[in-house]
Amino acid sequence: MATGSAPEQTLFVRKASGLVKGWSGGDGFRYSFFSVNLFLAIWSFAYACFFPGGSMFWAIVITAIFMVLEIIVYSGLISAMPRAGGDYVWQSRIFHSAVGFAFCAVGWWFILWLWTPIYADMGVQTTVKPIFRILGLNGAADWLGGRTGIFISALVVIAISSTLVAIGMRAYAKFQVFAMYVGLAGVVVLGILLLATPGDSFKQKFNAAAERYYGGDVGLLDLQKYQTDADGLFVYDDDGAIVPAEGEKYDGAFEAIEAIGAGTGMPTSTFEGGFGKETWFLIPFMLFWMGWPVWGATLYGEVRGAKDFRKNIYQLLGGLFVPTLIALAFLALMTWKVGYQAFMGTMAAFWWGISPLGGDSVSPTAMLSWIVPNAAFQVILIAAISLLLFGWFGTLFLSSTRMIFAAAFDRILPEGAARVTSGGVPVVALLLMTIPSIIVAALYAYSPESKEYGVTIVKLFTYDATLGIVIMFLVTGLAFMVMKWRARSIWDAAALPKGEIAGIPWMAVIAAIYSAFMIWVVYRFIIDPMYGTNNKESGIFMGVLYVAAVVVWLIAYVVRKRQGMELEAVAKEIPVE
Amino acid sequence: MKEKLFFATDVHGSEVCWRKFINSGPHYGASILILGGDMTGKAVVPIIDDGGGRYHYSMQDIRHDFEGDTALAKETRNIRDHGYYAVTMTTDERDEYANDPNKFDELFHSQMRKTVADWVEWADAKLAGTGMQCIVCPGNDDRHDIDEILAQAEHIQVGEGNVLDLPDGYQLVSSGWTNLTPWDTPREEDEPQLKERIMGVVAQATASPERLVMGLHAPPYDTNLDVAPKIDWETLTVKGQDTAHVGSTAVKEIIQEVQPVLSLHGHIHESRAAERIGRTLAINPGSSYVEGTLSGVVVELSGKSKLKNYRLTMG
Repeated sequence: MATGSAPEQTLFVRKASGLVKGWSGGDGFRYSFFSVNLFLAIWSFAYACFFPGGSMFWAIVITAIFMVLEIIVYSGLISAMPRAGGDYVWQSRIFHSAVGFAFCAVGWWFILWLWTPIYADMGVQTTVKPIFRILGLNGAADWLGGRTGIFISALVVIAISSTLVAIGMRAYAKFQVFAMYVGLAGVVVLGILLLATPGDSFKQKFNAAAERYYGGDVGLLDLQKYQTDADGLFVYDDDGAIVPAEGEKYDGAFEAIEAIGAGTGMPTSTFEGGFGKETWFLIPFMLFWMGWPVWGATLYGEVRGAKDFRKNIYQLLGGLFVPTLIALAFLALMTWKVGYQAFMGTMAAFWWGISPLGGDSVSPTAMLSWIVPNAAFQVILIAAISLLLFGWFGTLFLSSTRMIFAAAFDRILPEGAARVTSGGVPVVALLLMTIPSIIVAALYAYSPESKEYGVTIVKLFTYDATLGIVIMFLVTGLAFMVMKWRARSIWDAAALPKGEIAGIPWMAVIAAIYSAFMIWVVYRFIIDPMYGTNNKESGIFMGVLYVAAVVVWLIAYVVRKRQGMELEAVAKEIPVE
Repeated sequence: MKEKLFFATDVHGSEVCWRKFINSGPHYGASILILGGDMTGKAVVPIIDDGGGRYHYSMQDIRHDFEGDTALAKETRNIRDHGYYAVTMTTDERDEYANDPNKFDELFHSQMRKTVADWVEWADAKLAGTGMQCIVCPGNDDRHDIDEILAQAEHIQVGEGNVLDLPDGYQLVSSGWTNLTPWDTPREEDEPQLKERIMGVVAQATASPERLVMGLHAPPYDTNLDVAPKIDWETLTVKGQDTAHVGSTAVKEIIQEVQPVLSLHGHIHESRAAERIGRTLAINPGSSYVEGTLSGVVVELSGKSKLKNYRLTMG
């Protein structure tokens, strides 16, 4: 007979109003999972072409390790201060009201305007355009890929995102459940197809689909061959353009992308490059999709269970690890079954403007759907997987509205900014997101084209969208690092592990390591032109955003002071003794 | 110079929040302090005397072991700062409390009274000579006998059921009673009775609506001030992601009918918001006492028919 004792009673609770909070772990996990978005992964894989000597596989592994630190930092702060507004509240309370507003207005508000056309571009390139090609709607596909197409798509994104915010967190969470299961089912089907298809068979099916959707009467298939030097690399003319081998053609579309991969120096395996320098240089690109497991940070004032440090960690780790493992498996499978150089060739072909498939970037989902030569199946599969993208659209504005609410509560923004309709729609905050987003989307679509990269100047700022948030996350990391000393009573009250190393909380040590990593990332963004952030236009763009944030704070400071309110006092801790 | 009031609520036994509340006047430049209810704690944390000067207790899933009187005093304060009552006991005593609800109730009651008395004493010492007007109104979770303890304070006025004069001709009408909750708390009743109770106090006020402030613990129904997780009243468990409006229809009707310039609320910790109901500025600053942070609101009594200068705080 087993023996045992009852667990020790550690708390006596009386009858009083209040709830044991209990936001389901699943909801937190799903929000995080969608934020570490697999479509963002596809987008950032394309940028890996700029560091062909790096291993994407290992870059993802390294990034994941640092993102675990991010998760610990954010779980700690969420647990200590589970407030709507997240980073803004933490930074303004631990550092200063102006610090919190300047960094978070840029990171959670202004920079999201730039994400709007990026979302649209991703939706078009990875989902809508491939479906249109399959359906033979080539005119529509070409129009969508053009300037006006991208702009109109951005307006559609704004409409979808606003709707998802307007229906409220509860309804959005339900939609995310549906989107995640259908999307993941699509991913599983895709994986099975890839596993079950021998390499040669894949080539044949790829070539057949390319011929069907781009060749023949469609007239978009271009198998132009290019000159190579003694090392097998492409030859460039004085203007930096790849020199064609006149009159020569590749045998098929797959052979073309394979050759483009080789000619542009793409690696033959996702493991190639190991832990070398260029692998590390890929990390800022990987943050574009892996940096956001904590995207729900601004929402935790509204969710139950947020004070539970460990529960937060489990949710966020799940959100990070599931897509990360899918991405790693995908890269390994592409190396094994398709040929990594050919896969990277599809990306390089797009960037170098020599895609044999009508200039399209070939979305991995579309490419793998071609394994089954049935248009209806292909469209359904691409559409199903695209729910992983569309389920994520609401995150574009949802987190931002909470930062705006928090700033309005602090009276940095006018009272009206926190106004919601009787149905709970944050109408003013949404307008503060949507109207500037339309302007930035127009600039993204219609600004002059960069001669070097063949995309608009504002599209070149794509990684500013990451940089602005990385800088904000860095300041949050620093805030957690000094929390014990700058917000003593909150630290004391927080249910966090309080162990110390040489008198310093190990939580602070983790925050310091995370902050050092983020400083290095910011440094890379600033000094390396490959990220598109190291140029005058980008500098002006980011500078304008930060100056605008500071100006808003200063105006609020002056106005409130005239009204007899000290803005800083809002964020300062009241003396205890 | 316009007078400012600072309003906070639902400190639920958190000593650090009580102290912050008493100290908040100079911090926010306010001359009137109002605590809107639910000042007493919800739980007792037993500190187990392991003998030989060693003790242990568990709080928020973390076990704390320590030794000596100095550490005991420090840890007791730590527990009180979290809003719990710390009681040192042996394992036998702990088991007795666990098995005897009446004995536990007596313990709780005594701790509650003792703590409120300690707080009042501390506040009287801090507020003496400051000229600060400090008003405390119990809430639905507070037992009735704490009113007596508060009434003995030299520098604290008891809000419950009273009309109190504020500077510049303003008056404060207070009630900590709420509509029914699933927890059967000391100060709750059906909506009609609640309306009658509050209107009875309002009737005693002589100030015009432009100078009338209401401090009603229950927030008005169907506003941004009263949104809480939906629960099953039988099992007292949270049901999925659903939320519900749980405020008082009586309070909503009173605000709509009387149109005070300001109404201050609490009760629903998660529903920190400000909203206009006609000409009335209605505010629930929420509560984050568990974090050791005092959620509040500073309002400037401008003398105008519509109050515009206010800010929610987290101090």
